[in-house]
Amino acid sequence: MSHHHGALSVEGLHVAYGEAQVLFDVHLTVPPGGLVACVGRNGAGKTTLLRTIAGFLRPRAGQVRYGDVDLVGRKPYELARMGIRYVQQDKRVFADLTVRENLRLASSATGDWDWDAVFRYFPRLKALLDRKGGYLSGGERQMLMIGRALLGRPKVLLVDEPTEGLAPAVVEQLGGVFQELKGQATILLVEQNLPLVGRVADKVYAVKEGRVVAEITDREAIRSAAVEAYL
Amino acid sequence: MNGRLRWWAGVLVPFALLAAGRWVLPLPFVVEVLIFSVYTMACNFLLGRVGFISFGQPAYLAAGAYGTAFYLYYFGRDPLVGILVGLASGAVFSALVGLVFVRLRSDYFALVNLALAVIVYHLMQKVLAPITKGDNGLWFLDRMSSTPLLDLARPDGFVWFAWLVAVGVWALYKYLDDTVFGACCLATKTNEDKVKFLGYHDFKVRWTAFVLANTTAALAGSLYGVYFGFVSPEMASAARAADPVVVTILGGTGTLYGPLVGAVAFVGMKDLVSGVVGNWEFFVGLLLVVIMLAGERGIWGTLEPWLRRRLVWRRPAPALQE
Repeated sequence: MSHHHGALSVEGLHVAYGEAQVLFDVHLTVPPGGLVACVGRNGAGKTTLLRTIAGFLRPRAGQVRYGDVDLVGRKPYELARMGIRYVQQDKRVFADLTVRENLRLASSATGDWDWDAVFRYFPRLKALLDRKGGYLSGGERQMLMIGRALLGRPKVLLVDEPTEGLAPAVVEQLGGVFQELKGQATILLVEQNLPLVGRVADKVYAVKEGRVVAEITDREAIRSAAVEAYL
Repeated sequence: MNGRLRWWAGVLVPFALLAAGRWVLPLPFVVEVLIFSVYTMACNFLLGRVGFISFGQPAYLAAGAYGTAFYLYYFGRDPLVGILVGLASGAVFSALVGLVFVRLRSDYFALVNLALAVIVYHLMQKVLAPITKGDNGLWFLDRMSSTPLLDLARPDGFVWFAWLVAVGVWALYKYLDDTVFGACCLATKTNEDKVKFLGYHDFKVRWTAFVLANTTAALAGSLYGVYFGFVSPEMASAARAADPVVVTILGGTGTLYGPLVGAVAFVGMKDLVSGVVGNWEFFVGLLLVVIMLAGERGIWGTLEPWLRRRLVWRRPAPALQE
């Protein structure tokens, strides 16, 4: 895993689906190697924010930068090759491919064939190498999706609600993984599991109806129930 | 049995069975099964691996056939060179068409390909009639010379050549199944967005697969051309556009042996059943309905799990509960 190189910053972001504007003047910064969480109710615009950063949506206005590099207008695969990885919310892996083939795809795209790093975070995957994605449990699929994103020395990880619908033990494990990843990649985590957010986040942005309504940097406030007021 | 031996056994055993059939089945039947299996492998790859359903395969079949025919009718006599020219024609044609077509998905892709077949048919029948001879077609059977690899003087000379080509194409697709490219194709079929997240240019993946598959269809067209020594616009007829799709589904979409099994069933009904009863298409349709109702897995897709159990092949692992 590589060390971080720059901060991820979003400035004055306006995003719309046709006539329907979803994000309004969003500003946020994820410091190099930091883990910042985005919380908010369903429909607040959190996933739209991640999809815009990942290159799937073109903003109506605003900037997305990684260090000094402007990311707006780049294709998703270009961003992925730059080391900006997006782990979607849907937990859908390639169902017809085995875990090994899923990892091979990521390795071939990135040139990083060191799967031991992935197995260090998710040892369970090693025993599942020949199992097809369609036969994995939700937790295992999430491990595979994050593990795949870790290959190729990512600079930025955009992770969308990784714990949704997962058993507490798996959530606990993912929390440990995010703790370990801090300092090695710049992470923007969209999450509604507040205990997890309190455990891993350095800073929290609360998003409501497409706007950032609070930026919470105080660790005690993040750990306390203060964040809950924005959900 | 080690992995490599098992791999080659997987390639050679089904074709050895077909080769053995050469002594008990009519020669034209074996040749047509071989060529049709090559034609269907292309469609099977597009449909089973990339998720493209194309009703325009006759256009690519004709591109290969006419490439070969033009060479053998106007320029040279060597059928092997003719087949290479057909292959190149198919590759160039599908590469150009693919630049536009692979941007479309599902039903639009299917229909635009069907439209292409209609266009190619019209081109060959009317617009280019001065060089294609229109409906009369191009005859070049007497112009072809034999080569050591393709001895046209012997009655069974062509069947062994077609057998070699079919084995080669089948081995190529079997090999692709195990490569990152093969996995990438399957991944684009499942979820294009996720392929982009991994850093792949999804358009290039789809385009490469499209060109590869349609060049294979063109190869089948070239083989037909050399086998019959004749090519006509009928090859691009939209009336036969569904044939490779039907055979793919009949055999088992996305399975390796499906195209071969489907070709045997389809050509068998066309050549053998039609000799006993008329309206063989009725039986193909009936069989297709039965197969769909039986689980949409095709003949090989249905047989394979049964054979796995009988032959103690590797069993699929059960799902784990979280």
